[in-house]
Amino acid sequence: MTHQDVQIFTAAAAEITINRRELAARLHTDRQFDSPALAACQQRLEQVISYRCAYCRVPVDLTQENVCDFGFMTIPSRSLYRSLRGCREVYVMALTTGIAVDRLLARLNVTSQAEHFMTDALSSAAVESFCDAVCQRLREGVPCVPRFSPGYGDVSLSFQVPLLQRLHAYEHLGITLNAAYLMTPVKSITAIMGICASDDQKEGDV
Amino acid sequence: MKTVCETMREKRLYFDGGTGTVLQGMGLPAGQSPERWNLEQPDKIIALHRAYLEAGCNILKTNTFGLNREKFSNYRELIEAGIACAKEAVKGREDAYVAYDMGPTGRLLEPLGDLTFEEAVSIFADNIKVAAACGVDLVLIETMNDSYETKAAVLAAKENSDLPVFVTNVYDGSGKLMTGADPKAMIALLESLGVDALGMNCSLGPDKMLDIMGTFREYASVPVIVNPNAGLPMVQDGQTVYSIGAEAFSDYMVQLAEKGASILGGCCGTTPAFIARTVEKTRSLPYAYPQEKNWTMVSSYTHAVVIDSDPILIGERINPTGKPKLKAALRSGDMNYVLNEAIRQTEAGAHILDVNAGLPEIDETASMCGCITAIQAVTDVPLQIDSTKPETLAAAMRLYNGKPLVNSVNGTEESMQAVLPIVQRYGGGLIALTIDENGIPDRAEERVRIAEHIIERAAQYGIRRKDIIVDPLALTISSNPESATVTLETVRCLHEKGIKTSLGISNISFGLPQRDLITSTFYANALQSGLNCAIMNPFSAAMKNTYYAFRALHELDTGCADYINYAAAETAAPTVTAAPTETTLHTAVVKGLKEEAIRCAGVLLQDTPPLSVINEHIVPALNEIGQAFEQKKAYLPQLLMSAEAASAAFEEVKKRIPADKTDSHKAIVLATVKGDIHDIGKNIVRVLMESYGFTVYDLGRDVPPETIAACAVDKQCRLVGLSALMTTTVPAMAETIELLHRTDPNICTMVGGAVLNQEYADQIGADFYGADAMDSVRFAERFYAAQTE
Repeated sequence: MTHQDVQIFTAAAAEITINRRELAARLHTDRQFDSPALAACQQRLEQVISYRCAYCRVPVDLTQENVCDFGFMTIPSRSLYRSLRGCREVYVMALTTGIAVDRLLARLNVTSQAEHFMTDALSSAAVESFCDAVCQRLREGVPCVPRFSPGYGDVSLSFQVPLLQRLHAYEHLGITLNAAYLMTPVKSITAIMGICASDDQKEGDV
Repeated sequence: MKTVCETMREKRLYFDGGTGTVLQGMGLPAGQSPERWNLEQPDKIIALHRAYLEAGCNILKTNTFGLNREKFSNYRELIEAGIACAKEAVKGREDAYVAYDMGPTGRLLEPLGDLTFEEAVSIFADNIKVAAACGVDLVLIETMNDSYETKAAVLAAKENSDLPVFVTNVYDGSGKLMTGADPKAMIALLESLGVDALGMNCSLGPDKMLDIMGTFREYASVPVIVNPNAGLPMVQDGQTVYSIGAEAFSDYMVQLAEKGASILGGCCGTTPAFIARTVEKTRSLPYAYPQEKNWTMVSSYTHAVVIDSDPILIGERINPTGKPKLKAALRSGDMNYVLNEAIRQTEAGAHILDVNAGLPEIDETASMCGCITAIQAVTDVPLQIDSTKPETLAAAMRLYNGKPLVNSVNGTEESMQAVLPIVQRYGGGLIALTIDENGIPDRAEERVRIAEHIIERAAQYGIRRKDIIVDPLALTISSNPESATVTLETVRCLHEKGIKTSLGISNISFGLPQRDLITSTFYANALQSGLNCAIMNPFSAAMKNTYYAFRALHELDTGCADYINYAAAETAAPTVTAAPTETTLHTAVVKGLKEEAIRCAGVLLQDTPPLSVINEHIVPALNEIGQAFEQKKAYLPQLLMSAEAASAAFEEVKKRIPADKTDSHKAIVLATVKGDIHDIGKNIVRVLMESYGFTVYDLGRDVPPETIAACAVDKQCRLVGLSALMTTTVPAMAETIELLHRTDPNICTMVGGAVLNQEYADQIGADFYGADAMDSVRFAERFYAAQTE
């Protein structure tokens, strides 16, 4: 196996605060919404959640317009090219909340749609919050442009194949793709985050 | 030359170390597949192997880890070239073996992933055929993250070669595989499949593997392989280095050898220097082939259940005998009912669930396999596959993720000849019934004789005595007065001989009043006689009382902690006749309090006609929360909780309404269209529809148009709701609508989902667009109101 430069980062449930704005958006509620049932769902979710991230730092060649060449994959994309303009390196990353969340959702899908809906929203918000935490950590002393995920803009989901292979995401995180390039565990994210070569590039995620 | 299995009986063997680590030092670019070098740079691969042989390793892993037909179109040539490199390196060496190295497919198997079990077996089988034709000394299945994929790989190796099979899995810091299995579960599964050696590789350094090694030593009967990483990777000055050097690594390997590891090697970050130091330091340590362990274990994809002195509860509820609701569910394919039974029994404390899907008028094998897959998706307790048909047992055992309990074989030659080869092939604990060609003996010693005969015959198939669990057959005392005493005596005799036992406890009281009294007393007597497993009703308080009390009385419950928890929960449990509170059915539904709604409905039904409970209490409450939702004063989670509370109350009411008086004409077919696996929206609509008393035919997700049309016709249901989340699946929705209208112009289609709006819905010919779930319910109500008029 060849994955010496891939770094692994894990976090316990207690280390990640689920972003209430993300959660409210997925629950179709306002940010103040709370209920004992939601709190119980969160407690149960956090008993099984296992935050894991694999990332590595790779060079990017943007010599050709609207083409992003990462060495291990080349993505023809106007939107990603614009996001990375001025960068010479990027972080590529994959993150997951683990397969136990999928199993919990499968069980709740049988026993309670209300709990399934709330737990699904909580776990979606959880993986986004974890991704934010990872990006914030990577940005410490290393200014970065907003993170960018396959499926956004004109970048096909199919680029998840080389990206996950590069990170050995199956071995490190248990992430696999189905025929439609959707990931399992379902609450997983892949992203590319450009490292600013100059200070005038902006931070923040899309 | 001795075979690798012969050699490992005599001495410690050594695998090589990392491949990528060394090849990158030779110039392999990061991110490039090392296997390509088998054809492009074979000299370097041979040099890598020779370096390891010189370090003292005697099993080479071929450079074929990532090769399969899914990833490389020329996988055959690459495997052949990889094996040729290893064989070239060992040429002239009598003391070295070539292991064909096979890694995971990188895809996840059903039910959570989309790779079928048989497809996985087929992918691995293609690899094994190539390797076996090239001539290798063994197969090493390594870096497996998932128990199910591991099983597929082992079956492929066993079914397509006679080669020894070694398996190593990847355990993480919590001591489990990525998909949840612990070492005991993997030992139970792999030994039952007949692997020759097993263990762990990758992910962890040798220090962390020491923590898990104790479990392997205690439970594994075959040699244990330990191929750790060189600790954790870290970036230093832009270079990746590992946290543990060759010296420290080899010190840990000494400890692992002393803890019982039989085969040592390395994985990521390790080099020939690591192996050389390991060999030097461990060569002179005493070596002993592991002893056969006597644990009786069955397993799921997460854990093993050890059948020993602590009593085991086997849930009996998924068996259609005498259960009309389950019969109806199995006939109609209503898996939700089966799954609810599975989850409820697990939550009630069952350690294993019996699964019997046999009904005269259905395809039992298909039904059993469907149940096994679906149940394993929602609960992780091991299953007992229960069928009288050998072909059903075989299909279900093959498909099962883990080492199942198999119910059953008996002492007739016909049964043994049919069932024992299946258990030999797929592995499992086996329930053996003490009945033979002459029936069930009246005397205990005769039943014991049949048990011993089955054990002897099983041994001829390589099935170990520890894997046979004898059921001495409890018959009802109402027609067989001596049944209890003979059965108890048989249990006692078998226990004294060290043979494990199981009983279908409830049979003892069949035909008698107050059955729980007889059954639980018999259970206590059976436990006292040494009974290990009881097939029982986990919802029976009397049985649970006996179980917890027995464990507390027999030093099986430290500090009586389980008993105290159980007793506290029982005391706190509310009953239907609990003192009334201020809560009404209306407020219970509006507030989404399910248990409270059931209780209130029960109280109301004592003096209120069922239809009044629906029309004057449930529906107004639902309308109140529905209006609050529409006015944005309540949110979707609240609406769903109210709907579930209303549905639960509705179920209570339905029990009091004669079948011909229900509102059963209100029905809808629901499906998420083909290609789309997002079904949350559809499920929300289902819950709301059910709460309003609709009969819902939920076809699930990714449903082909033909299936939806066929259901509408079959159920004579003219209202069909379709859902789609992804833009890519809207054409499938249009195709479905077109087919439905062509099938029956009177079918009304309603659509919804994140990608849709009124304009889109009009374009694809839908009759109605529901902006949200309440919108859909209101339309469905109007649809049926218009039909009635």
